[in-house]
Amino acid sequence: MSRSYLFIPGNTPSMIQSHDVYDSDAVILDLEDSVAVYDKDAARELVRSFLAAHRGNVEVFVRINDVDSGHFHRDVSAVDDLAINGYVLPKANPQAIDALAKACNHPILPIIEDPQAVLDAYAIVRHPQVKGAILGAEDLTKEMMIERTSDGIEIHHVRSHLALVCHALQKPFIDTPWTVVDDLDGLAKDASLARSLGATGKAAIHPNHVALINDLFGPSESAIRDAERILAKASETGKGAFRLDGKMIDEPIVEKARRLIAAAARYNKR
Amino acid sequence: MPPVFCHSLEELFQHIDIHKHKHLSFHHHLRNGDFVMNTVLRHYRDEQVEGLHLHPSSIFPSYTMLLELLERGQIASVTTNYLNGPVAQWISEHGLPGELKMQTHGGRARSIIDGRDRIDVAYLAAPAVDAMGNAVGYLGQHRCGSLGYAVADSQHAGITVLVTDTVLSDPITDPEIQGVDVDYVVIVDAIGDPDGIVSGTTSITTHPIGVRIASLTVAALDAIGAIREGFSFQSGAGGVSLRVTDELSKIMRQRHITASFFSGGITGHHVAMLEAGLVDRLYDVQCFDLAAVDSLARNDRHIPISASRYANPADPDQVIADLDVVILGATEVDLDFNVNVTTDSHGVLIGGSGGHSDTASESQVTVIVSPLMRGRLPLIKDRVTTITTKGEHVDLIVTERGIAVHPERVDLKAKLEQTTLPVMTIETLQAIAHSYTGKPVDPPLGERIIGVVEDRTYEILDNIHQKK
Repeated sequence: MSRSYLFIPGNTPSMIQSHDVYDSDAVILDLEDSVAVYDKDAARELVRSFLAAHRGNVEVFVRINDVDSGHFHRDVSAVDDLAINGYVLPKANPQAIDALAKACNHPILPIIEDPQAVLDAYAIVRHPQVKGAILGAEDLTKEMMIERTSDGIEIHHVRSHLALVCHALQKPFIDTPWTVVDDLDGLAKDASLARSLGATGKAAIHPNHVALINDLFGPSESAIRDAERILAKASETGKGAFRLDGKMIDEPIVEKARRLIAAAARYNKR
Repeated sequence: MPPVFCHSLEELFQHIDIHKHKHLSFHHHLRNGDFVMNTVLRHYRDEQVEGLHLHPSSIFPSYTMLLELLERGQIASVTTNYLNGPVAQWISEHGLPGELKMQTHGGRARSIIDGRDRIDVAYLAAPAVDAMGNAVGYLGQHRCGSLGYAVADSQHAGITVLVTDTVLSDPITDPEIQGVDVDYVVIVDAIGDPDGIVSGTTSITTHPIGVRIASLTVAALDAIGAIREGFSFQSGAGGVSLRVTDELSKIMRQRHITASFFSGGITGHHVAMLEAGLVDRLYDVQCFDLAAVDSLARNDRHIPISASRYANPADPDQVIADLDVVILGATEVDLDFNVNVTTDSHGVLIGGSGGHSDTASESQVTVIVSPLMRGRLPLIKDRVTTITTKGEHVDLIVTERGIAVHPERVDLKAKLEQTTLPVMTIETLQAIAHSYTGKPVDPPLGERIIGVVEDRTYEILDNIHQKK
């Protein structure tokens, strides 16, 4: 499960070339909002050419334009034959998911960014090709004509709702990006809140946000140390249940510790 | 005996024969805001003095009169530590009747003190002078901070001329330039333009690649145990270097570590660490911003030092002899870890050592920080166009994609390999860059050798070729 999903404009060669050095678990090469209409063709060509020649050790998604945009089919076909990890679909709804699923076999990460999509979230996320959901809070609040604030009170319910939906379906819930580029303190508060509500990762619109997101959504040093102690004790006792620091430890807790250590290893923390 | 005060350069030239003395020196502490070099050299132009040997500590783009003298053929040779802009371009294309010698900061001071470089007249911009000719750089209307690069000139030139716009009525008690070394003080309306005196390079980078390099650098320093109580440190004023310094400061706060000293060019960021108690002393050979200048004027632990004390290996008080870590940049590096910051890959002069090879050769750990690729140009070449700093003095090369350790530093390599940091050979780093850029064909250099790179031991490290 990835912690960070970094958006990279599809028309910036230098950033695309460096897509695998920002430490983001996943990158989303963007053909939608960050690319002007006159640059869409060039961006498609650039993303395709680069991915055909280079792949770093990170998950790569491509955000295509929405199904009604007029760019949808060209975006899909531009990278459909490449080994990408999936498409990110903006303005998602059940019909759009069906349309994209019909056009490709790749996994889909829908962006939930309008009120109806929030209400339809379960139907969207339960689709077998859908591998999680991203909250798009900027568009959502724009649609609802409400102020987007730094404490996120206006999206509190939506975050909780999407977290419930995704956890019920055992799929990742990826929180909306923090858009104030230089406010890392604000990002830390925002990401902590999202994590406490059930987000499993967070999107980012700037590479400098990635390290903080990885820290907050990855296993903490203390959690890793605890897990290591649990596994060591389990190995030492050879029993299905044992006591550690006065607490009973059984197989589900041992298994959770194993997963946490595996995640730590994946994130280069061990 | 106090120096002779003159109220114009015309008056000065009634005392000294402009045609007789041809080895002239200047310092660059006023950087692009300097009026003194252009104003003085204008007289040499007008008097059609030929066969000049110039010894400016650096040459900046605003030193346009130098270009005029070059075009008129009045300059025979140039000895300096750094040059860029139109003068650098002109010399790259045309060469000189004599030689261009690229020294280091420590090497220049040593060479002047040894008498190896003869200075007939040192024309030294002096922001504040007292009646006895004592001078400091951190006072006055056009203050620049330390006058470190001017001290050797003032002591060893045949004639020492201070050019100032501020004469203090009170005596200067702890001068950088001693009045006993000064022969003339010329009072002018203004020695410089404040906007050009302060460097524009003292912002901490927020560029993601720079941030990544800085982050890897600090992690590497931590892994090798360099961030410890009492360590000493030097970084430049570039954005990545300052980011490294900033991230170091966070770790030092967390762990209650105090550094013994920072040296070299000093910025407001270093000053903030001094004032926060994170470092005990600043040894300042050059101020990069006004915050540093003001600190020098008020803080006894912010100490101006001469270029000799900074980096002359023959100076018994040489500061960098105790340097633990230095962070330096690079235009090119090669598979032998040699570094070029003197020319671009076409052989055009774009800089120079300054204190690069001085600090690299003394510091316990020398770290080169640079993007692996700049546009389509890979950092690592088979052989650098021009050697500024020998590879034997370089320990780590940190790029956004990996860290290369000099093969002889098995101690550092062993420690780094115990971490998850991306440690790899320099050949692997080069191959990664080439996978994106291809292997560029080196542009041919001109056959004519127009200059040399000399380190502070007087060893010639490389030749500089005319641009083809």
